[in-house]
Amino acid sequence: MFKNYFKIALRNLWKNRTFTTLNVVGLTAAFGVAILLAMYTVFQLSFDRFHEHGDEIYQVYTEDSGLNGIEANISKSEPFAAALKDEVAGVEKITRYISTGVLLSQDDKQFDMSTAYVDPDFFEIFSFPIIKGDTKNPITSESSVVMTELAAKRIFGDEEPIGQTVSILRDEQQVPFTVTAIVKDFPNTSSMDFDIVLNFKSQNEHAYARTIGRWDMENHEVYMQLAEAVQQEQFEKNTTDFTQLHYKNVIDNAKRDGFQPNPEGLYRQLKLLPLADVRFANFNQGAVTVSRTMPYLVLGISILILFIACVNFINMSIAKSAQRLREIGMRKTLGANKKQLFFQFWGESILVFLISIGLGILLAVFLLPYFQTIFKTQASLATLLNPSLLLVLILSVLLITLIAGGYPALLMSRLGTLQSLKGKLDVHGKNHLRNSLMVLQFGIAILLISGTLVLWDQVEFMRTKDLGFNKDQVIAFPLNGQLNDQQAIELLRNKLQDKPNILSVTASNTILGLGKDGSRSTSVLGFEHQGRGVDTHMVVVDADYIETLDLNIIKGRAFRKNLASDSLSVIINEAMAKQLNEDDILASQIDLDDAVYSVVGVIKDFNFQELDQTIAPMTLFALPNWNLRNVYVKVSSQNLEQAYTDVKAAWNSIEPNAEFQGSFLNENIDRTLRHERTMITMIGSGSILAIILSCIGLFAMSLLIVAQRKKEIGVRKIVGASVSAITILLTKDFLKLIVIAFLIASPIAWWAMSKWLQNYVYRIELNIWMFLGAGGIAVVIAMLTIAVKTIKAATSNPVDSLRTE
Amino acid sequence: MKNKLLSLNIASKTVNLGSHKIALLDKIDLQVHEGEFISLMGPSGSGKSTLLNCIGMLDRFTDGGYTFLGEPVHSMKEKNRSRLYKEYIGFVFQAYHLIDELTVYENIETPLLYKNIKSSERKAMVADMLDRFNIVGKKDLFPMQLSGGQQQLVGIARALIGKPKLILADEPTGNLNSKQSDEIMELFAQLNEEGVTIIQATHSESNAAYGSRIINLLDGKIV
Repeated sequence: MFKNYFKIALRNLWKNRTFTTLNVVGLTAAFGVAILLAMYTVFQLSFDRFHEHGDEIYQVYTEDSGLNGIEANISKSEPFAAALKDEVAGVEKITRYISTGVLLSQDDKQFDMSTAYVDPDFFEIFSFPIIKGDTKNPITSESSVVMTELAAKRIFGDEEPIGQTVSILRDEQQVPFTVTAIVKDFPNTSSMDFDIVLNFKSQNEHAYARTIGRWDMENHEVYMQLAEAVQQEQFEKNTTDFTQLHYKNVIDNAKRDGFQPNPEGLYRQLKLLPLADVRFANFNQGAVTVSRTMPYLVLGISILILFIACVNFINMSIAKSAQRLREIGMRKTLGANKKQLFFQFWGESILVFLISIGLGILLAVFLLPYFQTIFKTQASLATLLNPSLLLVLILSVLLITLIAGGYPALLMSRLGTLQSLKGKLDVHGKNHLRNSLMVLQFGIAILLISGTLVLWDQVEFMRTKDLGFNKDQVIAFPLNGQLNDQQAIELLRNKLQDKPNILSVTASNTILGLGKDGSRSTSVLGFEHQGRGVDTHMVVVDADYIETLDLNIIKGRAFRKNLASDSLSVIINEAMAKQLNEDDILASQIDLDDAVYSVVGVIKDFNFQELDQTIAPMTLFALPNWNLRNVYVKVSSQNLEQAYTDVKAAWNSIEPNAEFQGSFLNENIDRTLRHERTMITMIGSGSILAIILSCIGLFAMSLLIVAQRKKEIGVRKIVGASVSAITILLTKDFLKLIVIAFLIASPIAWWAMSKWLQNYVYRIELNIWMFLGAGGIAVVIAMLTIAVKTIKAATSNPVDSLRTE
Repeated sequence: MKNKLLSLNIASKTVNLGSHKIALLDKIDLQVHEGEFISLMGPSGSGKSTLLNCIGMLDRFTDGGYTFLGEPVHSMKEKNRSRLYKEYIGFVFQAYHLIDELTVYENIETPLLYKNIKSSERKAMVADMLDRFNIVGKKDLFPMQLSGGQQQLVGIARALIGKPKLILADEPTGNLNSKQSDEIMELFAQLNEEGVTIIQATHSESNAAYGSRIINLLDGKIV
């Protein structure tokens, strides 16, 4: 029996080669892409899930009442962690955490190491297992260093790392550290990424010693493990007294400035963010929002694509069943019952699905390297090789085959014996289903296309927007060598002085956009002004900053060439000027703890942060001997590449061991759009695949419908219909479906896209043309798809079509 | 008199066409005994095919009684009727209705598959049948590769493989030339002699003459 079914299935698939191929190609593409996208989603969602105590680990953050409502903040001060553990019940273990880069030397070799500075509890809270060395107290000593297997291999090769001494550059001195333990290389689904781990107290003067005992200097994150008996909400409530005690002045200031307290009546509230949410949390816009939209969107796209391919399969199977009516009828006459027929037809579908899934897996394997490069992900197919996940995958594949293969099989098995023997099929009701499915298909395609268009528009808008500074002619790079910042800048200036294509050189403590090294920092300063609390971004700059970036001075002056004479001057942006609210802004002063600074100039607002944020108040300082990690070099616009090479050469001659990580500011801005670009590529490729698959289905339908209406076409031609009239007749029905799809999909797309655009302070206006464009693309592609068949049918000799009857 | 195979007792079939009720078969009374060879005659639309289909249980009478081997078919459930015709009835069609995707061998074998007969037994039965009809050499060909007469031969072989008591043949020679037609009719006559009851619908007087009894139908009535 089985063999018989198998044989007839193969023969049938072979007989309908065109349709089998269309189906297999469509399903293979869909399965291949769905596998990759599912893999990506699972990979994203499994971030930080490998920690044994994961459910009990939280990041501590604060929610403050501010001028614009609730503001969330993860930075904590030096005494905070220890005090929290002592004073609030429920803290099982706690660690401070700061991630940065250090320069490590061993013998003559130098290594850039990403470093985590943590407290000793760190290794007990997180599951970074120590495989060698001191498993108990690896970093209790301030001269210990723990490294990953990979880092140890990089530094020592095959030598035994435990007990070796390395030196780390700190405050311009080489400080010796002893390797005490080796950590197992951790999964690439870890948000924390480090080569070496050092004691929190091993940080430089600026980051640690200076901050001891200071509650007002917040520069690191804090993670804690909650005691098992304690609930998160309960713990958050219990911290009220702690907050009242240690942040009295913050709370008083908030009250004085008339901010709105949160619903519990608190002006500052400590909160816990579950570890699994950390990667998906957004602190930029008021209260913390945890959003897994991106991975689920990706999963959604894969489901939509699978759906489209399955619709093709269902439509083709049902349409093709008309040609098997006699077989169905005959089998029934010979004694087959419904169940047997169902399993026969379903089995044929399963065969197609099995082939497609097999090819789909191969396709996914083949595409994986490209996928990893395009989406900058380390997700691999191994991500999916987890028993419970595999079970889910297998079940969903079974479900898909059950529905897509089973539904047509059910229809066929239910046909009446005589009716099918006569070859008559009541096609009326089924066209409804087919049409609705096709409308859905094209609706999805149009939705994805318009999404891509809008996204692309927005990203182009952000990329090309005038940000208020010169981003085309300025090269920025980090001072990542051994020299201190001031020395390095001095040397660099001297080197580049005579070059005609170098216009000016400056430096600052912050970077615009996102540099090649991927590091970023912001400093926000809060002080009291005229009895009010004022917050401002603090940017410390070197000479020529304003000139190098072409910032516009609208009042007052820039810093003098002799920067030292301006060490007590500040230049503010318009937003800051507005916040200070002075009649004569140039006569105003700001009073910080250490000194009083005079405002000497006001610059036009420029977008020093990303475009999803409004321009915040900002103050430029010219403080001497400050950390100025980022150099900006403005070059002449003639030969940008040559200028880049010159700057690189200059840097290499000053710091031969350090890597040159320079890039133009417009590339830096581009880098901040990575998330959006990934989304465009995802949705864009999704929409291309969606339209291709929909058109495969449409093509198959046009083949079948033209065949079914052959006689009608013949008769119409004989009574005088023209070629164009017949082409229109055949095309009209499909066109109608696409128009309906457009009418349904566009409002949904409009709603979704306007919701997404809300994330951006600077955004494009949606206009009807983007959606009409998407609909137009769908219509044109669809028409081209069916044109070949319909025109051929319309021009064929009517006698031929009638003779077949 | 031989055993009664089936009897129709004022059996009718009506269909609704819009608001009209049309009687396809009108109060048919018919007794068929084992070993009979009945020819149904009548013009197109007189109800021959409908009567055959109803007797073959592919269709139902809307009124009246139908008894097959003493079992009341008219009050039976679908499942039991299906069991009954699977066991006792073989069909032969004008258009042969072979399954295009199956070879001659497989076409003949199919009814046995639905009867859950063991593989070795199936092989023997199909081999016998191929032998008997002299089509052993054609067993691996597909229907499209055969002439009409050969296809009908396969169709009859397939109808016979289940050892039915009754063969229902709807215009079995309608698509054949006269020579092939005669051969097929000879075969039916031979089968009838071997004890198989046959009811055939036909337009042709000469074919009808092979039967032991002729029943004329007109507008759904026996005349």
